[in-house]
Amino acid sequence: MNSQIDKQRSSIINVDNLCKTVSTNNSHLTILSSVSFRIKAAESVAIIGASGSGKSTLLSLLAGLDVASSGSIEILGQSIGELNEDGRATLRNQLIGFVFQSFQLLPNLTALENVMLPLELKGNKNAKKLAADLLDRVGLSQRLTHTPNQLSGGEQQRVALARAFVTRPKILFADEPTGNLDSTTGKYIIDLLFELNRENQTTLILVTHDQRLAEHCERIIELKAGCIV
Amino acid sequence: MNRLFLALRFLRRDGRAGELTLLMFALIIAVGSSTAISLFANRINRTMNFQAAEFLAADLVLTSPDLITNDILAKAESLGLKQSKGTDFSSVLMENDEFLLVAVKAVSANYPLHGYLKIRQASYVQEQTVYHGPQMGEAWVETRILSALKLKLGDLLRVGEKSLLIAQILTYEPDKQGDLYSLSPRVMINASDLAETKILQPGSHVHHFYQFAGGEASILDFKRWLTPQLGVSQRIMDIYEDRPKLGSALQKAERYLGLSSIVVILISGVAIAMATRRYSERHFNSSAILRCLGYKQNEVLQLFLWQFAFIGLCASSIGCLLGWVTQEFLLHTLRELLPAKIATPSLLAVLFGIIIGVVVLFGFALPPLLRLKQVSPLRILRRDLVPLPSSAWLVYGLAIIVLLVLMSQYTEDMQMTLIIVGACALSLLIIAGLVYLILSASRYLLAYVNLTWRFGLQGLSKNRHSNIVQILAFSMTLLAIILSFTVRSDLINDWQKQLADDAPNHFALNIFADQKDALKLELKQQGIDVSQFYPVVRGRLVEINSQPVQQIVSKDSSGERAIHRDLSLTWSQAAAKDNRIIAGQWQEKRKPGFVSIEQKLAESLKVNIGDTLTFSIGSQQLKAEVDSIRKVDWDTMKPNFYMMFSPGSIDQFAHTYITSFYLPAKNKDLLNQLLKHYPAMTVLDVDLLLKQINRILSQLTAAINYLLYFALVAGFLVLFAAVQTTLDSRIYTGVLMRTLGAKRSFLQKIQWIEFSALGLIAGILAVLMSQLVIYALYYWVLKLDFTINLTLCLILPIVSAVLIGFAGFWGSRSVVNQSPMQVLREL
Repeated sequence: MNSQIDKQRSSIINVDNLCKTVSTNNSHLTILSSVSFRIKAAESVAIIGASGSGKSTLLSLLAGLDVASSGSIEILGQSIGELNEDGRATLRNQLIGFVFQSFQLLPNLTALENVMLPLELKGNKNAKKLAADLLDRVGLSQRLTHTPNQLSGGEQQRVALARAFVTRPKILFADEPTGNLDSTTGKYIIDLLFELNRENQTTLILVTHDQRLAEHCERIIELKAGCIV
Repeated sequence: MNRLFLALRFLRRDGRAGELTLLMFALIIAVGSSTAISLFANRINRTMNFQAAEFLAADLVLTSPDLITNDILAKAESLGLKQSKGTDFSSVLMENDEFLLVAVKAVSANYPLHGYLKIRQASYVQEQTVYHGPQMGEAWVETRILSALKLKLGDLLRVGEKSLLIAQILTYEPDKQGDLYSLSPRVMINASDLAETKILQPGSHVHHFYQFAGGEASILDFKRWLTPQLGVSQRIMDIYEDRPKLGSALQKAERYLGLSSIVVILISGVAIAMATRRYSERHFNSSAILRCLGYKQNEVLQLFLWQFAFIGLCASSIGCLLGWVTQEFLLHTLRELLPAKIATPSLLAVLFGIIIGVVVLFGFALPPLLRLKQVSPLRILRRDLVPLPSSAWLVYGLAIIVLLVLMSQYTEDMQMTLIIVGACALSLLIIAGLVYLILSASRYLLAYVNLTWRFGLQGLSKNRHSNIVQILAFSMTLLAIILSFTVRSDLINDWQKQLADDAPNHFALNIFADQKDALKLELKQQGIDVSQFYPVVRGRLVEINSQPVQQIVSKDSSGERAIHRDLSLTWSQAAAKDNRIIAGQWQEKRKPGFVSIEQKLAESLKVNIGDTLTFSIGSQQLKAEVDSIRKVDWDTMKPNFYMMFSPGSIDQFAHTYITSFYLPAKNKDLLNQLLKHYPAMTVLDVDLLLKQINRILSQLTAAINYLLYFALVAGFLVLFAAVQTTLDSRIYTGVLMRTLGAKRSFLQKIQWIEFSALGLIAGILAVLMSQLVIYALYYWVLKLDFTINLTLCLILPIVSAVLIGFAGFWGSRSVVNQSPMQVLREL
């Protein structure tokens, strides 16, 4: 059954011969070299590798946060390389959610306001209700008015999860989501992440160096020295 | 609209965090000071404009030494203008064996076209306001005429060959213009009586005033038509160009206040720029998150620009209110120099503050804000990615241009503005360099001091650039305050000290020839030493080498001022002892027909030895050849003159005498006695005049100091902004030190040392610069002796150190109050 479903899912992300080099001190450093793969809709993929293997760079390119030196990335048939900065921003606004290792909440906003933010940026008039519902979903209905510095690490990451899913994105990028958390809290966050992912049928791309975390995903892409192993 | 509401919600949230408080205060200060000046100047100018018509008693006045042609009057009538006429001349009255020089004014039926007169009977209580002149057969006189000629109301007064009934005492006329010698008392008669006086003969020295009033368009049409037809001696005065003079003291005050407000704006602008820079840097992450969430670059920038626009409007409104209160203080402080009723300001003057606020805010805040647009979303993953600074000079250029335009409005001269700005910029660069050296040198002290001092002084040299800005802001402000206090009080006192103890302190003028000897004797009998008596004839310079003077002098020069009024002309065989001949010769026996001219006036009029000057005295013209040029010491408190003729040149004209004498305070009663014996004489008490000048200077400097206090507050805001900029690193350092065992008191001492040292340097610099400036002023300009003010030199740096030390300590209090655990967790 799963293989049937798997066959039926189309590619949502196509990466073809992707390269990224940077210039440093009169020399060139290749971070990614000829990376190619496809990711299907609603698939969960872990990108693993040691520190410095190019995982975060690959994530940033896939999310349109950075531009590749060569190669192509297509998201839902749209080539990211053809888009300018504003075009990529629009793509992110419409399709993509993020969860980061350091939570990246706006410090002056409350938990509710942080979760409302992506909806407000889209002009959604029900932002408050939707955000409150999602915070309730992640177990923080009692902490709506608290600012990040009043929340523990785990609670902040739950807020971040709520913010990421509130717009029901097609693709979710998670960069070391449990990197700053203890193992118990980390496990809770990962379980919550995958639950929400299933509920929303989001394509999940998870960057991690933790093999056990990676095994939660349907597929693993391993990077070594900028190449897929 | 959604974006605007979102921006306001962001603003509310940032406001909760106190991110924008300092910025708002700086803007309030900038707007407050510029609004105060704008409102002040606007109200004064509107008052003068409204009063102008009253001052002229008309909308337009044509003055002429001769009667004008009927076609001028016909033209005025065709334009629907109301008309009246006045004739002004001097005459000597004789009643009851007493003589008196008076200023007679014969006015026509419609006089005054604007304004009013005030008259009274014997009692002051019976004063009334009237809108017409005397009837035929009547004379209205100033009260001193009655005492001088031993007359009373109801008596007959003979003016020329006409006897007139003294019907009223004249207490106020709207268009009386005067200088010291127009202190001749007024006799006002009806124009219909003038012919019968038979005083005016062909060639009589007389001024005819033709007054016109009507709608603005008609007046301007008339003026346009009339101007090309004016004779050399004819002049038009109108309410658009001949407003009542503000008085040079008030004009200068307005200028200084305006320039001071620009200093305030500049210092506040620095605070705004620093605060916005910190705000911007603290929002890099927020910008990156917004970019990740899908906001475009311009949308990110718009979000912050909307917030700042709102801040600008709110802070500007509060600043306008503050400015309003301040200008009320200014008006109250300067009330003695101002008319009793001050006009309300125009709407534009009120809005000016808001406009300035928004312009200043964006002028200084835009460069840091623009960086927010450049934040890459990748910064989320790579914190080292920092947007490059915008081309700050191009963007700060807007603020600088605005300030230059404002400054040129107050100096009324773009060239002077650029010179001032250039000179200031150069001075600031030099001083900044000096401060840089001092701060760098402070590192070398570190090896010789204990741990607390070492950390404290390290703070100075570590944040060198922001410390330089703070020291400059404080030292310049303190310098301005020192100068305004010192020069005011020292100037008058030092000038007085340099006079001999018994230098004359009274001038007596309008002394008739037959009274001179009696007065001299009476003063001698009282033991009062009197200076030489000089005869005085009133006359006007009309030609130089047969060329009308108007064609020679430059505008606004002392020469121009000298030709627009009657001069006090005198004659003398010997040169005055305190006059030095610098060109030509003063012959021992001067022949009639020669004149000696004062040096500065000669330069202004471009007069040389051998030039022929033509004077108009009474109804006659007189020529004299320049035989010498004199340098005059005006500070001797003795009579001195621009023009000194040789004996026999002008003796034949009616003249009075002037002298000066020293009267000790205990003998002031003698003045009453003198005035009873010589009622037509005018006595000027120099001490009173100096007290008056001192009072006026005090008021002016108090007004200027209001603005300087604004500048001081702005300086403190710069300090707080600088502290905020470095606050995060200070907190981090403080937390680490406390983690390693340092006590709070240790950290507090370090902060005290750092900020007190900063204040001490600013205070020392201010004192040094002030003494240099005062020395230069005294030596080159005022020619006074200079002594260093040791009290100031000692006290000010200490006061500065304490004040700034405290302010900096308070501003960085969170360094010791923050919980180390919380800070370390947030890292």
